[in-house]
Amino acid sequence: MATTATLTLASADIAGDPVSVSKIATLTKAGSTNDLDQSSGLNRVHLRSTANKVLLAANAEGSDLAAKVYIINKSDDASLYLTVTINAQTIGKLYGGDFLFIPWSQTDIHANIEVAATNWTSSTGDIPVEYALFHEDTDFLTNA
Amino acid sequence: MATTNATIGLASDVTDSSLSISNSTQLNTAGTTTGVNTMTSVTKVLASTDQVDLITTSSVSTTHAYVYINNPSTDETKYFTVTIGNAGAGSPTDTEEIGRLYAGDFMWMPWDVDDDICVTPSSSDDMTVEYMVFS
Repeated sequence: MATTATLTLASADIAGDPVSVSKIATLTKAGSTNDLDQSSGLNRVHLRSTANKVLLAANAEGSDLAAKVYIINKSDDASLYLTVTINAQTIGKLYGGDFLFIPWSQTDIHANIEVAATNWTSSTGDIPVEYALFHEDTDFLTNA
Repeated sequence: MATTNATIGLASDVTDSSLSISNSTQLNTAGTTTGVNTMTSVTKVLASTDQVDLITTSSVSTTHAYVYINNPSTDETKYFTVTIGNAGAGSPTDTEEIGRLYAGDFMWMPWDVDDDICVTPSSSDDMTVEYMVFS
């Protein structure tokens, strides 16, 4: 069982010479070479709230465990964005088409990952959001 | 205006039915279809377990940026704790932990440039951290 994440960054003209960065990571448990063995699968919600909504609820047991989060704003409108926060600390804004892939420490039960469709109105339409969590968990041991 | 694309792929056979995700996006300035035009690429070697103000808000002149951070270590016990928050006078304080980048891990995220991004090495041995900022 393995999960791999690949990121490619490419630009022909942001610098004097073309830029191309490609990185692949095999997701492992904290401090080990054992693969992460649990997944939320891919989820989809339609956000229509300017208030923060909990996308992923923190589990304090996860503080010293590995977890990776993927979130994408599937809106076709480049101006519509999600504000992503952890424990009320703003991380950044995902505009239409943008995604993130971050580790998640879940330092305490307040370290929820929340999103808000900050500039949403009833006339803008919903913002489709897809997300996935890959993690380990002390309560659900599935990997010997 | 430059054209810069980010592509992510996730492949997992954790579940009985395997999961495969692939998405690509152009990196644009806030709320537009105009490409970002500034890139910073840095490699640092840290030799202390002190928290380091890795990417400061003063290093970026916009309110929307994209950040890539990589831990190229091959030692699974070596990780960086990545935090975001207000940097205090001379040392980062009041920071929220995002997560830990273990050996070989990377992260990619938007950044609203309100607060600094800091890292804390898990070891005082030389640890290399790489990052890029697009804005």
